[in-house]
Amino acid sequence: MDNDFQSTEETAFVVDEVTNIIKEAIEGAIGGNAYQHNKVNQWTSNVVEQCLNQLTKLGKPFKYIVTCVIMQKNGAGLHTASSCFWDNQTDGSCTVRWENKTMYCIVSVFGLAI
Amino acid sequence: MTEVEEPAPPPSNTYIIRPNFQHKFRPVIVKECIHTVLQEQLADKQYQADEVMEWTKKISDDIKRKLKDMGYDRYKFIVQVVIGEQRGEGVKMGCRCFWDSDTDNYAQDIFMNDSLFCVAAAFGVFYY
Repeated sequence: MDNDFQSTEETAFVVDEVTNIIKEAIEGAIGGNAYQHNKVNQWTSNVVEQCLNQLTKLGKPFKYIVTCVIMQKNGAGLHTASSCFWDNQTDGSCTVRWENKTMYCIVSVFGLAI
Repeated sequence: MTEVEEPAPPPSNTYIIRPNFQHKFRPVIVKECIHTVLQEQLADKQYQADEVMEWTKKISDDIKRKLKDMGYDRYKFIVQVVIGEQRGEGVKMGCRCFWDSDTDNYAQDIFMNDSLFCVAAAFGVFYY
């Protein structure tokens, strides 16, 4: 893109920044809790909600998609992949894998420049 | 009424702010597309840890390719695929989006058999 103002630090998708937001959201929502079936609904919504809240506060010209998967640990495997059709110059994604003793939590954030 | 077909504009700002009605992202159609891909790829498969990584990539790429062929002008796509082993564990997947609900949308489908489950979600985001 030839719009230089689109790619400066202030309006770009900064992966490190987003990683921190995600980690904080997970820690805040789940922290040291053990897997509880009836709480998982609440946790996933809290994580995505908190992420999105912080992302919008950055005030950048992006649309965001946040997905969160929480899985109980019992030895089963889980794989995830994503495929995107977008503008590599401006758009970005960031995935964080987090775990504690009883569960895995995988959060992906996609930012699409407007 | 005469219609004039213009060549596709370069991907710069065209000041088009709404998709043409015919070219709106339609979850029902996209869901069907995801469903076909999942059936095609996973119908007779058993969970194999070393192969699943390939499958997730293949499926997400296939879905993306089909979406690109569906003629959604000026849409960006994100396809996310999760495959897990079926061992009775609890899983919860959620998503939340900050976007223009008038133009942007998503579709998802689930495939399950005795040894694995697969969730595929496709998001279409309009590029103004």
